[in-house]
Amino acid sequence: MYSELITSINSAVTNANATLVTPGEGEIGDSSVLINPESVLEVMKFLKPLYNALQVISGVDYTEYIEVCYFLAHFDPAAPKDVMIKTRLKDRVAPKLDSICSVYLAANWQERECYDMFGVSFNNHPDHRRILCPDDWEGWPLRKDYKVQEVYRGMKVNPENKMNRDDQLFEDNKQKGNEADLIAWALSKGL
Amino acid sequence: MQDGIVLAKVDELLSWGRKNSLWPMTFGLACCAIEMMATGASKYDLERFGCGAFMATPRRADLMIVAGTVTLKMATRVKILWEQMPEPKYVISMGSCANKGGPYWQHGYHVLKGVDEVVPVDVYVPGCPPRPEALIEGLMVLQKKIANERVLHEKWVRNV
Repeated sequence: MYSELITSINSAVTNANATLVTPGEGEIGDSSVLINPESVLEVMKFLKPLYNALQVISGVDYTEYIEVCYFLAHFDPAAPKDVMIKTRLKDRVAPKLDSICSVYLAANWQERECYDMFGVSFNNHPDHRRILCPDDWEGWPLRKDYKVQEVYRGMKVNPENKMNRDDQLFEDNKQKGNEADLIAWALSKGL
Repeated sequence: MQDGIVLAKVDELLSWGRKNSLWPMTFGLACCAIEMMATGASKYDLERFGCGAFMATPRRADLMIVAGTVTLKMATRVKILWEQMPEPKYVISMGSCANKGGPYWQHGYHVLKGVDEVVPVDVYVPGCPPRPEALIEGLMVLQKKIANERVLHEKWVRNV
């Protein structure tokens, strides 16, 4: 579907390494274009005349790598089109990408959100701060290995006396498969 | 009652006056605030209870209705606002989120598990969000609490 686009990207930008990603067996979704993380800015500069709007920048944590997806669209009533550009970052400690704010202004807040949730820093971003979490928040909440901090500014995030033990017990018993225990426990609680 | 004379205890008169002129702070955090606005508007009309004057500053308010999800980021601000209110001051925790974290009770990393972690709460109003009638009942409970306070007795008799 994107074969023409991929060849034109590869001829216009050296080292872009654009390849087609198609959904595998049992997966759903559209096919997309995978590019080299170092050449994101160059590729976006090339794509700007073809796609006039950046809709979303999103991040996905696949544990082996962090994937950043750019959803581009062209709002021409005669020929509407869109494309999903993906790039994969192997470095989980300090993932880095070039900011595309100079190409698409809409990228400003989207990149800040990606930084806030996944810790991907963007080089040359005009306003590189967290967007939703407090500035002194620790960790990147949407990463798979995220562990919430225990105390934030003297406030306990999960106070012991406010946690629902019953639900946790129920889940534990369910995972162990102790159905008899589960029923006895539920009866004792009057559920 | 004769010749325009009313006999009452000073304490009770003061409490009666205070309970019927509560001034809440204009302050909403989430969807519960929409219900609070509906309660303040003409259909439910908080002004009937003397509680309709929503103040735009904490320094003139004596009631804080915490209406909505208190995130950890907002909790620091809520505490500052509460500290800026003059005594005597009251807090109504409105809705499940403000009561105990609501749907974010365990996995919401960013939500404070109940506003009573940072400010003392007088009345809890359950619901998600509570209907205006529920908020009005919470307010009436608070009014009963205030009516039973004996400010002068506390000040001049008990704490001499």
